Amino acid sequence: MLLRLALRNITAHKKSSSITALLIAIMTVLLVFSSAWMDGSHNTMIQNSVEIYPGYIQITGKEFRNNPSYDHLIFDAATIELELAENNDIAWFGPRFESFVLFAGEDKAVGGMLTGIDPEKEEHLSRLSASLEKGEYLGAGDTNQIYIGYELSRRLKLDVGNEVAFIGSGADYSFAADKFKIKGIFQTGLFDFDASTAFVAKDYFDQIMAAENYATHFIVLPKQPGQAEELAVTIASSIGPEYQVASWNQVMAGLVKAMKLDSVFGYITLGIIFIVIFFVIMIYSFLAVFARIREIGILRAIGTTPKQVLTLLLLESSLLAFISVLIGGVIGGAVAYYFHFHPIVFAGMEEQFKQYGLAVSAMPTAFMPLVILRDMAVIFVLSVLSTLYPILKINRFRPVEAIHHV
Amino acid sequence: MFRLSGKIAWASLTRRGARSILVVLMISVSLWGLLFMEGISDGMIEQMVSNAIRSDSGHLSLFAEGYHLDPDLSRQVTDVEAIDDFLENDKRVLSYVKRIKQDGLVATAHYSRGTKIYGIEPEEEKQHGGLDGYLFRGKFDFGPLQRGAIIGFKLADKLQVRIGSKIILSAQDRYMEVSSVSLKVTGILKTNNMAIDENAVFVASKKARQLLAVDKDVSQIAVILHDEGQAPRLQSDLQQKFPNLEILRWDELYPALLQSRMMMENFNLITSLLIFCIAALGIFGVMLVSVLERLREFGIMMAIGTRFRQIGNIILVESFFLGFFGFGLGALIGGGTLYYFKIYGLDLSIFSDAFNEFGMDAVTHAIIRPSYFFTALAAVIMATFLSVLIPLWLLRKAKPIETISKI
Repeated sequence: MLLRLALRNITAHKKSSSITALLIAIMTVLLVFSSAWMDGSHNTMIQNSVEIYPGYIQITGKEFRNNPSYDHLIFDAATIELELAENNDIAWFGPRFESFVLFAGEDKAVGGMLTGIDPEKEEHLSRLSASLEKGEYLGAGDTNQIYIGYELSRRLKLDVGNEVAFIGSGADYSFAADKFKIKGIFQTGLFDFDASTAFVAKDYFDQIMAAENYATHFIVLPKQPGQAEELAVTIASSIGPEYQVASWNQVMAGLVKAMKLDSVFGYITLGIIFIVIFFVIMIYSFLAVFARIREIGILRAIGTTPKQVLTLLLLESSLLAFISVLIGGVIGGAVAYYFHFHPIVFAGMEEQFKQYGLAVSAMPTAFMPLVILRDMAVIFVLSVLSTLYPILKINRFRPVEAIHHV
Repeated sequence: MFRLSGKIAWASLTRRGARSILVVLMISVSLWGLLFMEGISDGMIEQMVSNAIRSDSGHLSLFAEGYHLDPDLSRQVTDVEAIDDFLENDKRVLSYVKRIKQDGLVATAHYSRGTKIYGIEPEEEKQHGGLDGYLFRGKFDFGPLQRGAIIGFKLADKLQVRIGSKIILSAQDRYMEVSSVSLKVTGILKTNNMAIDENAVFVASKKARQLLAVDKDVSQIAVILHDEGQAPRLQSDLQQKFPNLEILRWDELYPALLQSRMMMENFNLITSLLIFCIAALGIFGVMLVSVLERLREFGIMMAIGTRFRQIGNIILVESFFLGFFGFGLGALIGGGTLYYFKIYGLDLSIFSDAFNEFGMDAVTHAIIRPSYFFTALAAVIMATFLSVLIPLWLLRKAKPIETISKI
């Protein structure tokens, strides 16, 4: 009975109902799309940053993360390799040895990072080989061949085929120096990374740096990247307490937090917009309810209890909110779905992304039904709340007052 | 005449007190939100820009030709005296400093890293950009023997050094020979200019000259002006006088900052427009209802000789009252909020990791510009004016006089 009355009332006041519905729907679309956009762009940025080089899981010596010196290396890489090979959840893993050295070209010296990698495994672990710009990627049997960042090669004024020398210290703190021939040049798009890193095959690296069976860290690629954290815990228990196993959200804590911060700013902006919409909905329901003050007075005069009037009005506003949220949710979801498969491309913004260490310019939205439902629920509650004040206010009138209200 | 319209408008507004207050509240809340957003985001960007200007680029930077793309000791500013002469006598210049820069390697016993060496005069830097204000630990001083080094906090972190730690700085000198010097860390800087925090080692100008075997030449002359707006003019004047120098403004040296600034402005513009459209919709609804429910009243007024224009005036004044009170209240609380955050700053230290990542200050001091209030006022007036147009048109079509005879 009440439900039928409520429905009839909504359809009877088409204009005010449709404006309220429109506002609620717009609000829902805005929220659904913004969350999809924020989540999507953040995931993309993090995923990119993780996959370019740092990897989903890093295994280091226990103290290495706090104090990255040669005293805290992994000194028994072979054992770890055996342990990791037994784990079925791991898709790929590989060792790396990073060291800071001074590179020297014909007439220029530049500080940078020289890293020994397993070229074949690294192909699956990072985007190094995919970022090849010129020449060739490293091979397993390579000796004094180096794979060097584009900006670094430019700073050294060297090209593929040229020779580059380095001075650094070996794993035993001895003086290390050698000459490499540039085999390939890569460009990941991360300016700092491209301007300071170079790679050689680890077998040869181990010889010149006295790093046989040593590694600064292992990189692990899980079969399911979403379960990196759980896998990190499993690995940690299997290889023992001398090592530290960190998943990407520990390794890149700054970036993860930065994304959270960005969301906070986004939600603050949305919040401000929503407060205004909240007021507008309140004003409209205020107007709508007061336009019907006589009707309500008469209802009360013929014996409807205040409680029934309250239920009726609340039912009306909830119904209207529900329908609008549904419409908004479907539209917002559709937009999010579309941009999930057709990422938004930012041309000309690469400069800014690069400054933040992000080598992406196409951002898909995240299409997550649960998040959409959450957003719809938020808007529903918000819009019903905003009609509460007018409804309560009108219910305080006495029937006679209401009928004679001008 | 206007006094009468005003009186009538005021009377109708107070008759629907709750409704009017709701509208005023809505306008003021939207204004408050806008002011807050604008002031904080401008504050954030300006702080980043100011960090870059103070710690590195100045409003203008003078380099030898080609240095910016390929920083090399072979490309140095040589006619220092003539430039000194020009800058000292130019009234637009507030201050300037000369720096010598070179890429090198900084090493501790355990660890080494690529770095950018800055040879500076600490006293001049204090006067110029207040570089000492960024001091995070230690002292802004190289010690009596000039054997100190001041380094960026991220670099210090990566090298695991503290105040008093020994570091070894190596670089190629002017003759392509690698030379080294051992220094003690006397200070750690946190400028939130990532280029500095991650890479810079500041040493005494004299020490840098010894290390690099450079006599008088400088790599960079950073100039700060009294008024940033004069930078392009001074840039072209300098370029004319010294055609073989490369003279770059801060926004040419830090294009990403300019992009952030523009992006923020666009974002704010879109949000403001959105908010004002919604707010205008709110005013519109109220004005529409208030016109339609008073058809009889207007009919009677017109029957006793009031002109339609006068009635139009009453309605306009009504909506302007709403707009002005909304604006007044919004400007008051918005301005107050901004003033609070201007003095005390918005402290988001819980996200300090994130701010470090982005190279931003964790505490943002809001900016208050008169233009915020003027544009907001203009927008409110526009919104109130536009929102009565349709109600007025409907009123004219409804022929109020005829409504008297209806029940």
